[in-house]
Amino acid sequence: MGIGEGMSKDAELVRRVLAGDAAAYGGLVAHYRDRLARYAVRMLGDRGDAEEAVQDAFVRAYRSLPRCDDPQRFGPWLFGILVNRCRTSYARRARRERVVLHDEPASLVAAVSSTAERLEWEAEIAWALARLDPLYREAFLLRHVEDLSYDEMATLTGAGVSALKMRVLRACERLRVLLKETDRV
Amino acid sequence: MFEHDDDMLTDVTARVAASLKAAVRLDPALDARVMAQVATLPAHRPGGPLGRAWTWLRRPRTVALSPLAGLAAAAGVAAIVFVAARFGSTAATPPAGGDRTPVEFLLVAPRAASVMLVGDFNDWTASATPLHTAAAGGLWAVTVPLAPGRYRYAFVVDGKRWQPDPSAPPAPDDEFGSPSSVVTVGGSL
Repeated sequence: MGIGEGMSKDAELVRRVLAGDAAAYGGLVAHYRDRLARYAVRMLGDRGDAEEAVQDAFVRAYRSLPRCDDPQRFGPWLFGILVNRCRTSYARRARRERVVLHDEPASLVAAVSSTAERLEWEAEIAWALARLDPLYREAFLLRHVEDLSYDEMATLTGAGVSALKMRVLRACERLRVLLKETDRV
Repeated sequence: MFEHDDDMLTDVTARVAASLKAAVRLDPALDARVMAQVATLPAHRPGGPLGRAWTWLRRPRTVALSPLAGLAAAAGVAAIVFVAARFGSTAATPPAGGDRTPVEFLLVAPRAASVMLVGDFNDWTASATPLHTAAAGGLWAVTVPLAPGRYRYAFVVDGKRWQPDPSAPPAPDDEFGSPSSVVTVGGSL
């Protein structure tokens, strides 16, 4: 899997933590923090929520570490906890806010209109990503940003491979339409 | 239909993916907050009796059975399943009396001012079981002694926000319309 480079090092750290060396967990946190941060920020679209989700995922992984059947696959196992945590976070926020979306892409673009072209493009992507169905966004990020295989995605999400392929396909189509609205493509 | 799914990335979506792959930096203090919370939790201990039993149970093993012995084993398993289904604890409310097991409930909510635990065990009373901040970083915790059984529960954050436990199984068919979680005491989770 794309997640979990340095698996033997992970396994050694997991063994040390399970042997009572809690400080060894810091090595796993440092190794996976940025990867988890990227997914959580892209998925939730809010840094505060993303930090909360990542922090929670790490703590829950520590508590549940004896249930990690294969220490060499700590990375995918941890990522699965984060994916579920992001789903819960997003569902909670959607209920709270009834998904407040900006109907005018220009409102976001305007916020960065005086900045560089790259930032404008990033703002438009964030706007388009936020308008995707969460399941489509999740599938797109796992496939094309985290570079997971469909089998790996199925393991993480519990969805079937066909359903995941459909979600990725629709996410791509929707992104193209949304970004066309911004006259950028 | 999907045989070309890996080629579905057009120039546009490929640019989107490339942009989204850029590194994201969160608060540099995140590591310290995680480790501060970890420090408040019991360290893992190898070789405890429960740990050894769990390891033994999970160890893959091959069992050779004659056809007759296989039938007898199947009958035994069926009997166990029947007894468990007939007499096992599926009630949402805790049985009266019996030994109680301390169960720790944890929630990370750095921005919360208060967190309460509600569930079958306290009649969903929002004021009955407050969680306490155990450390910097927004870790809230409370330990509740529970008799063996299956319980639905949830957290109420800041007196209004209902939140299930992100790490626990969701409760099915929740008649309250708000999501809750399930914990099983004295059985498999």
